[in-house]
Amino acid sequence: MSETNRSESQNPILKAENISLVVDNGGTPKNIIAGFSFDFYKGEIYNILGPSGAGKSSLLRLFNRLDEITRGKIYFNGKESSQYNPCLLRRKIGYLFQTPFLFPKTVKDNLHFVDSSLSDDKMTSMLSEVNLGPDYLLSNVDVLSVGEKQRIALARLFALKSEVILLDEPTSALDEKNSSLLLKLIKNKVSAGGIAAIIVIHDPRQVLTYNGEALLIINGKLVEHGPAKELISQPKTESGKSFLEKDSV
Amino acid sequence: MTGVGIENVLVSLVLAAIALAIGYFWKVPVQKNMAVGIIRSFIQLIAVGYALKYVFDLESIWLILMVIIVMILVGSHASYSLSKQVRGAFLISFSAIAAGSLVTIGSMLILKIITFEARFIIPLSGMIISNAMNAAALTINRISSDIRSNSLAIETALSLGKNRRESSRPYRKQAVIAGMTSILNFMKTVGIVALPGAMTGMILAGAEPLEAVFWQLIVVYMLLSSVTISSVIAVELTTEKYFTPYHQLKSKI
Ligand SMILES: Nc1ncnc2c1ncn2[C@@H]1O[C@H](COP(=O)(O)OP(=O)(O)O)[C@@H](O)[C@H]1O
Ligand SMILES: [Mg+2]
Repeated sequence: MSETNRSESQNPILKAENISLVVDNGGTPKNIIAGFSFDFYKGEIYNILGPSGAGKSSLLRLFNRLDEITRGKIYFNGKESSQYNPCLLRRKIGYLFQTPFLFPKTVKDNLHFVDSSLSDDKMTSMLSEVNLGPDYLLSNVDVLSVGEKQRIALARLFALKSEVILLDEPTSALDEKNSSLLLKLIKNKVSAGGIAAIIVIHDPRQVLTYNGEALLIINGKLVEHGPAKELISQPKTESGKSFLEKDSV
Repeated sequence: MTGVGIENVLVSLVLAAIALAIGYFWKVPVQKNMAVGIIRSFIQLIAVGYALKYVFDLESIWLILMVIIVMILVGSHASYSLSKQVRGAFLISFSAIAAGSLVTIGSMLILKIITFEARFIIPLSGMIISNAMNAAALTINRISSDIRSNSLAIETALSLGKNRRESSRPYRKQAVIAGMTSILNFMKTVGIVALPGAMTGMILAGAEPLEAVFWQLIVVYMLLSSVTISSVIAVELTTEKYFTPYHQLKSKI
């Protein structure tokens, strides 16, 4: 699933063309994202790496159109993302927040929030996709553990049947066992559904569990990118080296 | 005791003096407020009495309309000063209060419940506007604080493809309920816990109890109408301030 295996004729599902996000920071403009360009293809996992405050979450919010880009263009399926109805676009480019929020009251309510026509049988199979038994369907979300909540949020995201999924540090609140389970579930979904996954990963060591792409973002800029294994073992840039050295300590 | 005069008021100052004496004896920390309140209410009400007498005697349509507009402006300013954290709160308050009161007064005129006379329009508008003002202020505050504190829930709903109306629905409902709570409670207990002020006033002034009750019922329904309209408009206009046309929650406002 690396860049070389992709057929040349395939068009990017999501394309960022020199996008910038400038916010007003108490009177002075601040570049949160500064001229980011990249093509994302279906069937791939993209790991977004970078120090805290680099703009990783801001980038995912732009793709989901929770914020407006200041400059540049984003294309989804060849069409400019501003040409889509934002609500329809968000269902095609699903977004999982870093802290998952579940609506009251039950797991079933949360799946119905996305698609009210889902049958109990269908929902049960969706739960099994995130390693949860059928009795979770009627559980009150308040009694679930952090790991279970994150998996319900993932099932709810999958219920959108998006073509691109954006995941913001999905494992940051989870223990080792739950993180590797969650990453395995995401990986299965990408290969089974042929979708693109863009994942902000806090810990570069977790990237090694994939054979995907990695993008290193520092100060809102794409510093370097390439196959994840290569980028992490032999970063090409000075800033890449210093970021990975610092983080592996 | 129908023919009440200024001499009765002066005699009733004895009651105020008793309160002041007790305040002095017990060192109630609000003695000064008590004294100021006694004088202030006297001056304000006597002034309003003369103003009303002037307006009633003239019976000029323009003067009545001007009084209503001034009352709406004062009410909007009071509501605004309680909800300054929302950008555009004055215009929101003004729209909500003006719509609630004008629709209600207009309907009462069209339905011939009242005629266009100062003695109906002015006191009823006063009641309507002060209730609409409280409802608007409560609603604006409630929806703005709920949107701020539930941004993750709202953005989660947006990210799952809901539009701004769907994403804010539970909070908009709660805010309207907050604006309507006092009139709803009033309707529950009216006549049981205490007789309302307007009705008490009419009975004191010598009206038949049933006539006073009929007026009171009209007043209750009229307040329900203005409060509901004002709350709904206030919540809709405030919610608009927090979203972009692209169904995005504004992070700073
Ligand atoms: N609406 C905003 N206004 C001003 N600054 C913001 C806003 N949103 C994010 N930032 C700033 O943008 C930078 C990038 O934030 P973020 O995307 O959350 O970084 P990351 O996810 O990589 O840790 C941070 O410095 C943050 O303080
Ligand atoms: Mg982040």
